[in-house]
Amino acid sequence: MIDPLFLEGIIKVLFVFVLISAGLIISTRNLSSALTTYTIQSFLLAAVSFLLYLIDGKGQLLLLACLTLASKVILIPYFVSRIEEKIKIGRDLHFAYLEPTPSLLLSIGLILLSYTFLSRVFEGLPLSKLFFFGAVIGLSLTLMGMLVMFSRKKVVTKALGYLSMENGVLMFGLFVTELPFIIEVLIILDLIILVLLTTILAVGMDSSIEEYRQKFRELQIWTGVESR
Amino acid sequence: MLEALVYGAIAALISGTVLPLLYRSKNTRKTSFGLSLLSSILLLGFAGALLYTGKEPVFPPIRYLPGLDFTLVADRLSAGFILLIAAVVPGVSIYSVEYVEHAKSEAGKNLQTALTNLFILAMLMVVLAGNMVIFLIFWEIMSLSSLLLVLHDYSSEENKKAGFFYFVMTNISTAFLFVGFISLFRLTGSADFGPLEYSASELALPFLSLFIGFGVKAGLVPFHKWLPYAHPAAPSSVSALMSGVMLKVAVYGFLRFLLSVFTPELWWGVLIITAGSLSALFGVIYALKENDIKRLLAYSSIENIGIIFTGIGLYVIFKVEGLESLALLSLAGACFHAFNHALFKSLLFLCAGSIVHATGTRKIEAFGGLVKTMPATTALFMIGSVSIAALPPTNGFAGELLLYQAFFQSFAVTDPLLTVFLITALSSFALTGALAAALFVKLFGITCLALPRSEKSRLAEEVQKPMLIGPAVPAALCILAGLFSKQLLSFAGWEIEFPDLLLLGLLLGLIYAALFLIIRSKETSPARISETWGCGIPTLAPHMEYSSAGFSEPLVMIFKNIYRTKIVHKAEYHDKQESLFKNGNVEIRLLRFFEEYLYIPPARAIESFSKYVSSLQNGKLDSYILYAFLAVIVLIIATGGFV
Repeated sequence: MIDPLFLEGIIKVLFVFVLISAGLIISTRNLSSALTTYTIQSFLLAAVSFLLYLIDGKGQLLLLACLTLASKVILIPYFVSRIEEKIKIGRDLHFAYLEPTPSLLLSIGLILLSYTFLSRVFEGLPLSKLFFFGAVIGLSLTLMGMLVMFSRKKVVTKALGYLSMENGVLMFGLFVTELPFIIEVLIILDLIILVLLTTILAVGMDSSIEEYRQKFRELQIWTGVESR
Repeated sequence: MLEALVYGAIAALISGTVLPLLYRSKNTRKTSFGLSLLSSILLLGFAGALLYTGKEPVFPPIRYLPGLDFTLVADRLSAGFILLIAAVVPGVSIYSVEYVEHAKSEAGKNLQTALTNLFILAMLMVVLAGNMVIFLIFWEIMSLSSLLLVLHDYSSEENKKAGFFYFVMTNISTAFLFVGFISLFRLTGSADFGPLEYSASELALPFLSLFIGFGVKAGLVPFHKWLPYAHPAAPSSVSALMSGVMLKVAVYGFLRFLLSVFTPELWWGVLIITAGSLSALFGVIYALKENDIKRLLAYSSIENIGIIFTGIGLYVIFKVEGLESLALLSLAGACFHAFNHALFKSLLFLCAGSIVHATGTRKIEAFGGLVKTMPATTALFMIGSVSIAALPPTNGFAGELLLYQAFFQSFAVTDPLLTVFLITALSSFALTGALAAALFVKLFGITCLALPRSEKSRLAEEVQKPMLIGPAVPAALCILAGLFSKQLLSFAGWEIEFPDLLLLGLLLGLIYAALFLIIRSKETSPARISETWGCGIPTLAPHMEYSSAGFSEPLVMIFKNIYRTKIVHKAEYHDKQESLFKNGNVEIRLLRFFEEYLYIPPARAIESFSKYVSSLQNGKLDSYILYAFLAVIVLIIATGGFV
């Protein structure tokens, strides 16, 4: 049995890395590095979930860790990397409303805001410091994901923002509300569908069905569908 | 028993609305107008019986929503206005049987028939409404059905503009009514019309919003501008209903609240009289300058509404001063004038419809000589003009006489400042009367007398029978209501000191007859019929006649401060910097004071605000996510108690 205090220390370190990864997703211009950052972020989340399992011993948390690992670290990044390969766009250079530096400054503000907000909301509730921080990180991760969604132009990046936002929800759920497991599963299914949809949209939202097939053929996405 | 009459009338009007929507044929339309005629006869019986016996019928309420009843209430006030509806509708229905056939398409004819019935029904239900919710529902149906009627010929750009203008104004009216009703509801917690016991400051908001709401609909200056736009666009039979009845329904609404809900204050009376006098004066002054027959009649309606509101204001002042009998006299004057105006204005609009139909134009300058080509219409038109100019023994004279009587006794008011105010209002009232007489001398003279001023007028033919019988009904009522005004008032339960116009009428008739006989007997040689001496020019030409603008020129000179002109430059350029002149024109035209200073600035402000708001919806996903983001942040800040 490992000392819970030690585990909590590790979780706190992981929190810091999660925040850094969120900042990176906001500011990076390189699509593949954004994807890598997201993969790392998801992995960190899986690790947090696993460590919590070690502290609490709830089987649910272990399952969640495995699920996150399978879907968000392996499956979704695989899909997205395929999209990135096919559409042959390596970088997302354009920003709407906010450039990376102001975005980072704003996200500091967001973290502070969620901190003060949650400290007021949880005032008087028997919540340990670790769980409180988890909630703060979760909320700020959600808001930062949203920030990515409106400040980036490319659909792929937007999808990454949405995924990272969902990571925030997962984080918040882990520490505060204890989302029922089934809901977590459903959310992950949704995410996979979202990514599949994004594949379609990113390839040719502006095309007619005929052009669409053409593009699919050219990019060799889902060749099975197009084989007939 | 009495209730059955009302139910019968409602049923007749509903079937009159539904029938033309189901079957498209001339007979259906005839039946439908027959049904509205039938309903007006039933209503006549109902209102007459109620006014005579004073026994109020009881309508069992129907509960259609929890806490909201469908209640109908009929008391003496509503009976008076039901009488008004029942007096105007027969003429309009008979007239419409033929008039509606001139509409362009078969569907249009049926729609116009159905909507006319619906419009009458809605106006009836507003008068019968037993609480504010019912009132508002039927008020809206009334507004919308009349809007659709105004838009009946929606292909022309001018009509579309008129319809839009009317739509906006009628919605402003309803918005103010909503504010008034809600503020009353907040005070009492009930939607019924019942007397209130609240301090004057609490009632100021409901009163003012109701005054503006009803004032917009009634066409009080400065909210009157929709009338001169909507009336020329609407079919004449609808103009007759709108001007004759709908404006009075607004007056009814105002009176309903003033009499059975509020306890009036002195400043209310001063406000009402001021608005009324201004409307009367401005209405007639603008009418004098007008060259479009229907627009002229619309301005004249504004004048008459002003007179009615002056009477209501007098009632309030006398009531507050404790002079009950005088208050009653002014109220009787206002109500009777409303009734009279309904009669002669519908008559005039119907005649105007016939004239416009026969000549194909609305321009007064193009008429003339109709007395020879359309003698029957001219006779009816003359009765209307005489009545509205308030010449004895017609009903117009009787109604205004009541108000003059009330005004003349205003020395009974103790406050000297108030007396001065009332005398001032009296003088403006008298001026209005004189100008109205001049206005209708002009309208009748230029339209019907002398030589035709245009080919269309020369070739005009008398209209078909229904279009003559229709206006004949209000024309007969105008004379009868004048002659029997004393009897009518006492029948309605108003025992006021009032000269018997029947006697006066007989006396006048006798004098005229005697004069005629004397002149006839003194005549030395038989009358020689020839053309007027034309200063030696062999044949008289139409352009030698008094023109419409020429006739009103002296009055225009007197009031030239009111008819301000404006110089308008319009220029187009080849380039953006506006240096290469393409073409343009400069015109001097009448300043549309109310429109340009009162209506357009707020409209512009709303427009630019809406443009700003709609620019938020830019079709970009990024912006929408940004809005969601900002909303979340605001939510966090608000729920976190940071504000």
